Amino acid sequence: MKQFLLKMWSHCVRLTARWPSIASIAPFIPVVAAWWIVTELQIFPRVFLPGPAEVVRSFGSLVYMGILPAYLQDSIVRLAVGAFWGVALGIPLGILVGLNQRARTALWPLLLFFQAIGDIAWLPILVIWFGYGLTTITVVIVYTVIFPVVLNTVLGVRSIPITLHRAAQSLGASRIRMLWEVVLPGALPNIVTGLRNGLGYGWRALIATEIIVGTSGIGFLMFDPRRSGSVVEILLGMIILGILWYIVDSWILAPIERATGQRWGLVTR
Amino acid sequence: MKDLTIRNLSKTYFDPYVGTNVTAVHDVSLKVEQGEFVCIVGPSGCGKTTILNMIAGFIPHTGGEILVGGRPVKGPGPDRGVVFQSFALFPWRTVLENVAFGPKMRGVRKVEREKIAHEYLALAKLTEAAGRYPAELSGGMQQRVGVVRALANEPDVLLMDEPFASVDAQTRMTLQEELTRIWQEKRPTVIFITHDVAEAVFLANRVVALSKGRVLDDIAVDLPRPRSWDALNDDARFKELSGRVLQLVRSA
Ligand SMILES: Nc1ncnc2c1ncn2[C@@H]1O[C@H](COP(=O)(O)OP(=O)(O)O)[C@@H](O)[C@H]1O
Ligand SMILES: [Mg+2]
Repeated sequence: MKQFLLKMWSHCVRLTARWPSIASIAPFIPVVAAWWIVTELQIFPRVFLPGPAEVVRSFGSLVYMGILPAYLQDSIVRLAVGAFWGVALGIPLGILVGLNQRARTALWPLLLFFQAIGDIAWLPILVIWFGYGLTTITVVIVYTVIFPVVLNTVLGVRSIPITLHRAAQSLGASRIRMLWEVVLPGALPNIVTGLRNGLGYGWRALIATEIIVGTSGIGFLMFDPRRSGSVVEILLGMIILGILWYIVDSWILAPIERATGQRWGLVTR
Repeated sequence: MKDLTIRNLSKTYFDPYVGTNVTAVHDVSLKVEQGEFVCIVGPSGCGKTTILNMIAGFIPHTGGEILVGGRPVKGPGPDRGVVFQSFALFPWRTVLENVAFGPKMRGVRKVEREKIAHEYLALAKLTEAAGRYPAELSGGMQQRVGVVRALANEPDVLLMDEPFASVDAQTRMTLQEELTRIWQEKRPTVIFITHDVAEAVFLANRVVALSKGRVLDDIAVDLPRPRSWDALNDDARFKELSGRVLQLVRSA
């Protein structure tokens, strides 16, 4: 028996070494198995906790009806638009505050104040101003993404050693070129950290906003079925959230980090 | 390359904690001819970095004047190349791109500036490292890059602030020998700052001894070139000059 288990284990290790994607799936196998066992044993009534098979079936039918792809697209586009504006506004603002003492004195207290209010806290007033629509959702996401980006950009700009500024100036760099050649790359590892945090918060804010003001999207998918008491779709939505974040992290954020800070030796591997 | 004139240079810092003024540099005058290699030597805290930072234009001076080729210094500029103790290479640029940085800022085309960079990298025996990032190099190699990055921009004056202080002793000796070789080949005007008397005498045409922000004396070094530690370690003239400078620095 022990021999058999060991053999299985070594088999698994070799398999995951060859296909790293299996290694990232493997940890979920026991979780799904436990879920399946719990539902098969009928510890909870089936209507409260459906099993994996029912969720997969629901996934199939929602994809077949075209609802899931459409909702998924809506959520991702909203996040992308919000993240784009959050970054497009956040990085320049962070650089300004990081480089300029006067801007820092003027803006830092405001940044801290508004950061504390939090994204969802704006929803009631945004709904009154902009109604139940894309504008409200976008504003919330931009608001959520922008603070981590700004604060981390400021941190990054301030952490650049003064000798790098001096070296560039002594090699003939103008003030404008310093931005591109020294300030931006020097702050980039921190900016990526800010983006990672911002997207994480933004994703959560998006789901919460869709639950409250949405007419489509993954958050809406999870909240809409509550009337019919269909737990299957809520579970499906939760699983999709996890998978999507996993994809964003491992296919977008991690590669950026590897290509910047790690390669440059600015952060330890 | 042009000459450098310093007249009655002084610097007074305001210390905000104590609330008083501290004069780090008193009335320093110095003339460095084109193609000369001058070492400024003195104990730590005597004002060496302050002098170099004023020449580089990183900090303003509070008295006197600094002229490069007859023109007064106002802020940093490509006419004065700087080599830093902490190397200060751009971590996000490869070795080649670091060395090509100065020419790039001058608007030299990519093909041309990479040719220049390769030339200088060969001079410092760094051809192999061209495609690597600074973090992947040893300290000694990083500072070789620092030196040729400054040289590749062909400054009028090369300013070096204890550039070899943070590498190990053996590597330091190699770097010193290489620096004298490169200097002989390119003949830049160099101001080299160090607290190490032997290093100063080994490298320089002229050693300026500094103490408490004042110039004590100016000693010509007439040792033949090319210089190597093997030859100079037991050289009587080298020992005599080092002894004189050491005595001067310690007496003050
Ligand atoms: N930014 C500063 N503010 C106040 N005092 C300073 C500052 N920089 C240097 N000093 C003082 O000036 C003196 C000379 O410093 P420095 O030029 O760094 O000496 P060295 O490079 O020879 O070790 C020291 O007494 C130091 O404390
Ligand atoms: Mg110093």
